[in-house]
Amino acid sequence: MFTWIGQFLSSSIGKKTTMALTGLLLVGFLIAHLAGNLLLYKDPEAFEAYARKLHDLGPFLYVLELGLLALFVGHIAFAVRTIVENRKARHSKYAVQADRGGKTLASATMPLTGTIVLLFLFWHLIDFRFDGGFKGLFADGASGAGAADVVWNTLGGTAHMAVYLLGIAALTLHLSHAIQSAFQTLGLRHPKWTPLIERGGVALAVLLGLGFASIPFAAAIR
Amino acid sequence: MSANEHDETIDLTLKVWRQRSGGAPGQFETHEMKGVSVHSSFLEMMDVLNATLVRAGKEPVVFDHDCREGICGSCSMVINGQAHGAEPETATCQLHMRKFRSGETVFVEPWRADSFPVIRDLMVDRSAFDRVMSAGGYVSANTGSPPDANATPISREDSDQAMDAAACIGCGACVAACPNSSAMLFVGAKVSHLARLPQGQPERERRVVAMVQAMDSEGFGNCTNHYECSKACPKGIGVDVIAQLNRDYIKATVVRSN
Repeated sequence: MFTWIGQFLSSSIGKKTTMALTGLLLVGFLIAHLAGNLLLYKDPEAFEAYARKLHDLGPFLYVLELGLLALFVGHIAFAVRTIVENRKARHSKYAVQADRGGKTLASATMPLTGTIVLLFLFWHLIDFRFDGGFKGLFADGASGAGAADVVWNTLGGTAHMAVYLLGIAALTLHLSHAIQSAFQTLGLRHPKWTPLIERGGVALAVLLGLGFASIPFAAAIR
Repeated sequence: MSANEHDETIDLTLKVWRQRSGGAPGQFETHEMKGVSVHSSFLEMMDVLNATLVRAGKEPVVFDHDCREGICGSCSMVINGQAHGAEPETATCQLHMRKFRSGETVFVEPWRADSFPVIRDLMVDRSAFDRVMSAGGYVSANTGSPPDANATPISREDSDQAMDAAACIGCGACVAACPNSSAMLFVGAKVSHLARLPQGQPERERRVVAMVQAMDSEGFGNCTNHYECSKACPKGIGVDVIAQLNRDYIKATVVRSN
């Protein structure tokens, strides 16, 4: 009954479609994540309230986290599979290879930028999810604007600044190819819309990059 | 100095890939080409090289060629790292030596992809494309005798796009130029060509599924949207055919109930 799913997912287009869909959903997550983070600039209480609302989701937060994990795992698993297959498709390399202007820095470095983002993600999760100062923040009796302080305190220091900027730069470069590429993979190409999607994809990547990068900068100048 | 009307000939250092068979190791062989006419095509320059080799009792360089007017898709050389050379929308046979500078070193390699194994020297086996075509790149319905003109109206947009896709000569430059050795531009062109026309509709879904299955089983890589294929295509086929292929495949496998 479900053999068509297996067939679809093992086809070249099925693999790429899965990467495109999971990637676009992850972009949706990034937009929501940045929107929440930008509350830091409103006032500490607003960010505190946002953090508390997330915390108050209780078990449902775990469900969301599992969904997010599934998106990452799916995206990465299919990426690894396509990279391995693509390497296998050409064992004998060209002695001279000159690109004709199709390939871009972003498109050529997708596996590299993806790996940097993944490594950064581990660091980021250790900072704020597993080991960070958010723990115990919402324990009974705790109050005040602690969540914003946790962010500023965690991100202070040059090591954090360097790691975050590298991770965010890799993410920006990754997305500058990824967003328009996802639309193409889903077959959504149109003479009128594609130029907008291409420019809009780069613009969204840069806006997300600048938005996220502003936070370690803000932490540094505090 | 670039070749112009005052320079009727140029001198080149040619580094040609020589490989006795698919399994044998290959290497570049250097030939000094003196007095190459700027009016000759790249293949004519190769003919001159081969004539010289034969006269010297050596094996000529094996390469594919046929019509020599840019429409058969036989010629297949990677020249200085670019499939069919640097000229846009030009097959190797239509590439003229006036596009090269005297004193230049020119590297000539075969299409490199595991799905296109080398037969000898610059000649590769492109029968993988034939097998993809046999899987469904045709219309098997009997369309009867020629209908009256305008009996089946087709929009200008559809006919133009079908014609653009049909311009594919199946040379394989897209695979050669793709960093992933993907055949999506070729298969996209063949699928889009028929998907745009009424004759292609009854078998449209079966066709796209069968052709993608055949493409995958031939071991071509996965498209990651570098778009090098379209830039290398001697017929200038756009990547909109790849989007059409993706769309039709997703529709046929995921959306349709059968």
